[in-house]
Amino acid sequence: MEKKLSQLKPGETGVIVSIQALTNHRHRRRRSWGFQRRLEDMGLTPGTKIMVVKSAPFHGPIEIYVRGSRLAIGRGMAERILVSV
Amino acid sequence: MKKDKIIIGLAGNANVGKSVIFNHLTGLHQHIGNWPGKTVEKAEGTLHFKGHTIDVIDLPGIYSLSTFSIEELISREYIAVENPDLVINVVDASVLERNLFFTLQLVELETPIVVALNQMDMAKKKGIKIDHEKLERILGVPVVPTVATSHAGIYELMQTSVDVVEKGTGKPTKIRYGEEVETRIQKLSEMVSKLQLPYPARWAAIKLLEEDEQIGGRIRQLDPEIVSAARKLAEEIERIHGHSCSTVITSERYEIAGRIAREVQEIVPLRKLPMRERLHALTTHRILGYPVMVAVILSVFFAIFSFGDYTSQLLGTLFENFYSIYESLFGTGILATLIWGGIIEGLIAGITIALPYLIPFYLVLYFLEDSGYLSRIAFLMDSLMHKIGLHGKAFIPMMLGYGCNVPACLGCRIMETERERFLATFVVTLVPCAATSVIILGLVGAYVGFEWALLLYVIDLFIIFVLGRIAFKVLPGEPTGLIMEMHDYRTPHLKTVVKQAWFRLKEFVIMAFPLIIAGSFIIKLVDVLGLLEPISNVLSPVTVVWLGLPTITGITLIFGVIRKELTLLMLATLFNTADFASVAGFGPVQMIVFTLVAMLYIPCVATIAALVKEQGWRRALFITFFEIAFAIFVGGIAYRILMLTGM
Repeated sequence: MEKKLSQLKPGETGVIVSIQALTNHRHRRRRSWGFQRRLEDMGLTPGTKIMVVKSAPFHGPIEIYVRGSRLAIGRGMAERILVSV
Repeated sequence: MKKDKIIIGLAGNANVGKSVIFNHLTGLHQHIGNWPGKTVEKAEGTLHFKGHTIDVIDLPGIYSLSTFSIEELISREYIAVENPDLVINVVDASVLERNLFFTLQLVELETPIVVALNQMDMAKKKGIKIDHEKLERILGVPVVPTVATSHAGIYELMQTSVDVVEKGTGKPTKIRYGEEVETRIQKLSEMVSKLQLPYPARWAAIKLLEEDEQIGGRIRQLDPEIVSAARKLAEEIERIHGHSCSTVITSERYEIAGRIAREVQEIVPLRKLPMRERLHALTTHRILGYPVMVAVILSVFFAIFSFGDYTSQLLGTLFENFYSIYESLFGTGILATLIWGGIIEGLIAGITIALPYLIPFYLVLYFLEDSGYLSRIAFLMDSLMHKIGLHGKAFIPMMLGYGCNVPACLGCRIMETERERFLATFVVTLVPCAATSVIILGLVGAYVGFEWALLLYVIDLFIIFVLGRIAFKVLPGEPTGLIMEMHDYRTPHLKTVVKQAWFRLKEFVIMAFPLIIAGSFIIKLVDVLGLLEPISNVLSPVTVVWLGLPTITGITLIFGVIRKELTLLMLATLFNTADFASVAGFGPVQMIVFTLVAMLYIPCVATIAALVKEQGWRRALFITFFEIAFAIFVGGIAYRILMLTGM
């Protein structure tokens, strides 16, 4: 089943399927490119296993465990990462 | 080959102990500046090793050599174009996979490298055992295990580095991608190799496939056909894999890094949850994390400002006593007044205001950053800071701003992109510092009412919110969300913290003091020439007509540029009384308007100096003039609203 990373509960794991662009708006295409590159450079590439450790309150960032290290990732970004569970 | 001078670049991820190694190597022979035309710090140092003079350049801590951030671009251009004799790649042994991803990119750049496998102690504590000899064989580059904090392996690292520079090493292992990608890289690199490029052909070919804009643009100028060929090849890969070509390449590169990491390391699961993990759980806890954070920030504030206040007053009294000696020696002639009031007062302002706060600030900042706590604060505060278009990391400089805007501006360095840095700096200069609080509380709080003083703080927060949002929308560039590594907690290396603080402080003094002194000299000169009154009169359309203030407030506001609290002192001097309630034509409305303007109108000269240092003249002046205009605008509106309420 596919879910957004932001929908995973603490302790759950998933495998990244894809990272969605911000919008289809032409003007924004370049923007989403940078966003995706950044996530990938941090090791969030398709096929990567992710574990959600916890999330900060008030719709805050999510703590994930990926490739042997701990990352904090903003909620908005987590909503654009599709994972299969 | 014996070289007289060797140039070594230090490269690696953030928080891998790069600065500890840098400080071990260079000791007190270092120089901190900026990369030309950039707001990124450049640390250089020199050491002598076995008859060699070695220049070490500490490159910014980054995760990749793409062009997402200025740091990445700077590092890449430095390594590829300036061609240092050697790059020491500092690798965190406890997070091997992520670090090797970066190492592989350095290998692709075909620079001679030596890997410093650092934080071996931390890896051991995490139950990770690494076969460094095997890693050396796989990568084909020398690997030296180090524990920088206890100086272990540093000598061997330098010995190996010098050997590599003098004798050269065998070829590093070529990084081979999957079949579909590999054949296309080779096809493209054959085409690229015909061009005159400062980069290795294979690397440039990979970057072309990754749709790297900088490399693409450069090659398009030489041969646009290669770029379109690259496009076609990239599309083929995209069709095969179902992901964009850059995704495929990054993904495969990470796979290789992961495979190497698994081959060389052995992980024994820990039986007991270590202290640092419990500390992490507590400091990022959704409820408990916040009281802990408040307690830490309050104690940091208390420590910085009680130390700062005390020292500042002590130094102030010292200089006052010094003045009576000065006066008896040189009298009160124009020249003597000008030298004292302009040059020496400026120097005093710098010494008594900036230094007492900056010294503890830098120490605490580097301590918190090194330990890893700053990233936890950013984690907790991210959602709040998003409301003004920034992310969690900006919370730290903003809090500091309530104490003093100078360290706050300097602290904006922790933001990643140039855009965020500017946005954070702009927001920070709107925060009322301790000196502004003196005016707010000493004038409005004391004579109008505490609730009005409180209201001014609320208004200020509101203004920060609105202007922050507007700047966020207006500024070009990509808004970035939070994505950061929360590295394991560790005890900061004190010697490095002290050295980092010392060199930053030194740099600030060299940069800012001349500006502070020049600024106060000009204002004093205007005063001595008797131009203050005429200038106030010139300003009167603004001060009197638009803001409804007495004419002389123009003078005080000018003096406030040197030090904000001077506005209040000058006001008392010019009114000939410190009891502001007794002054005719300076009622509650004027007090509120005056304070509002003083709160917003300009960062003081020390802050402007910090702005120039961090953002350059253009942006510093922009912020300064914008805030003057904005303060006058808001002040006039407030005056009219207050008059309507019939106060």
